[in-house]
Amino acid sequence: MRDRSATRALVLGVLSLPFGLLAPFAIWSGTRSLVRIRASEGELKGANQALAGLLGGGLGLVALVAGAAYWLLSS
Amino acid sequence: VISRVLLVALVLAIAACTYPGVLIESAAVRLSSSRAATSQAAPGAMPWLHVEHPAQGAPYIADELGRMVLLHGAIPASLLEFGASATASPGPPTYPIGPAAYEGRCPDTLAGGLYPPLCQADLVQMASFGFNSLRLPLVWSLLEPERGHFNELYVERIAQIVDWARALGMYVIIDMHQNAYSAYVGAGPGVDLTTNSGAPAWATITDGMPSRELAKGKRETNPAAVEAFSNFWYNRDGIQAEYIDAIAHLAERFKNDSTVAGFSVFNEPQPGWNLPPGFEDLLLFPFYRRVIDAITGVGDGIPCWTGFFMPAPCGYPDPGIHDLHHLVFLDTGLAREITDFPTHLGMPLSSYANVVLSMHAYTHIYTFDALAGQTLEHATYPWGGYDQSYFFADREAKAMNAALFVAEFGDSPSQDPLILANQVLEEERHRVGFAFWVWKESGSGGWGMFDPPPAGASNAPSSGCLRADRERLLARIYPRAAGDPNLTYHYDSDTGAFTLSARGSAAGPATVVYIPPEARGAVAVAGAEQVTDVRPDGSRLVTATPSGGDFSITVAPAALVLSGCG
Repeated sequence: MRDRSATRALVLGVLSLPFGLLAPFAIWSGTRSLVRIRASEGELKGANQALAGLLGGGLGLVALVAGAAYWLLSS
Repeated sequence: VISRVLLVALVLAIAACTYPGVLIESAAVRLSSSRAATSQAAPGAMPWLHVEHPAQGAPYIADELGRMVLLHGAIPASLLEFGASATASPGPPTYPIGPAAYEGRCPDTLAGGLYPPLCQADLVQMASFGFNSLRLPLVWSLLEPERGHFNELYVERIAQIVDWARALGMYVIIDMHQNAYSAYVGAGPGVDLTTNSGAPAWATITDGMPSRELAKGKRETNPAAVEAFSNFWYNRDGIQAEYIDAIAHLAERFKNDSTVAGFSVFNEPQPGWNLPPGFEDLLLFPFYRRVIDAITGVGDGIPCWTGFFMPAPCGYPDPGIHDLHHLVFLDTGLAREITDFPTHLGMPLSSYANVVLSMHAYTHIYTFDALAGQTLEHATYPWGGYDQSYFFADREAKAMNAALFVAEFGDSPSQDPLILANQVLEEERHRVGFAFWVWKESGSGGWGMFDPPPAGASNAPSSGCLRADRERLLARIYPRAAGDPNLTYHYDSDTGAFTLSARGSAAGPATVVYIPPEARGAVAVAGAEQVTDVRPDGSRLVTATPSGGDFSITVAPAALVLSGCG
């Protein structure tokens, strides 16, 4: 059975790339999903989606923080 | 494993086309050495303008001596083309395109026209207010009526106006103008297209969206126009690439002409169906980077196929123009005009040095408060007053490594004592030049510097009389060129008094102050050598060469001598 949070993490992770404010939610969903999948000992699937969502969320968050920091420092 | 690799690759590919990719590209642009030509104009030609980038402080528009240049001017909208009226009858007439119709004469002002024809006498009038520039709106539909075929007669008409400006020592900002995308978004119930202008019919892709105003009287809410904008930003059928080629065509024509201050790339860009800040950071500013790539050949973007959607990091092929002199004026998205607040991250978009951020200052006219129906006296937004927009614009421009310019502001004459008076004060406070919308207007809008021409008169003049408040507020004493970019100055348009304080090294670059004929007060200069040139129209040019250290230029209060109507 696929973990629902994994799909949610993937969607949020992809969306956080153009909309950085979604990044924390993608990271939260991805992390929670990975923990649950590992704890399920093979019963839950979707680790790839959760990981991709986590990656997207991480990149989105880095971009958001870097962009905001640049704005604050350079302006 | 394959599934994992594919998913990760997909996420990385999307990241490259969105904020992470844009940030990496901006960092590369910021770290690369800025590029622009440094050669001087030919003897007798107007000095080239460029953007000076001081080690400390914000970039500013400068002349060949490195002095800060303030451009003051108006916007004549006579070269535009508009759509049909709500009853599907023909829209406002278009004046002759060929320059011959304006050689030594001026076509009659046509009944039903929104704006009178632009003639040489108009530029002489502009110069008499001390305007040293004009922003000249063009329309893509007349420049490229057929795909791939430019109307050279229209280009020569532009060149004619540039020639007139050169003779008067005025700069021209060539402005690719549009309002609600195009005059060709299609007829609809009650839809009035008489103020729509922009793209030609072949570049207006509405996908069958209905043409109607979702908010009455707001042409920008027409779904057909919104769809057409979206298709432009997505480069549907290569139309964005065609637009870039059209600007490149103008750049090729004027690349050696220093009278042309630069090119204003896209007037008041609307987002289509896209939301800020992604619209500006991922669609609009990458489009601007492509335009700069095409004009200058700096090649900041990565090579991409230009016939389809170009993701944010995509640049544009070098057509070989290599215009490294002109300023490139970049409007922020329309949402910023409504919010008076940055609607983008403000990242550097090009290594080209001569980038100018163009703000449109319409506080209390198009901001939230006005859209909500609040009156000027009881407006609850912007919270920072008139200064809010300028405060943030200064920071946006600095973050983008760009100079700042007010490319548009204006109001109804009845609002001049509040809106116009405050806007010109903000422009002084932030040391930023302006272009006033609109020069003359014969339609019902009534925002022109002059009253409309008398209705129904045969051989009607191009305007009624000069509006006194406009003359009082816009014919200003101001520094045209200043050696000290951190100077402070203030003109009191009630008393005619002027004060300027600056610093300069001994025999450093002179500061030049323009005094219009309306201001009659005595000039006093301290800490600098002064030369005052009284010109035939009664205006004065004060040139102050600093002796070293602080210096000041003052004009004593004196009753203004206004020539306009009451």
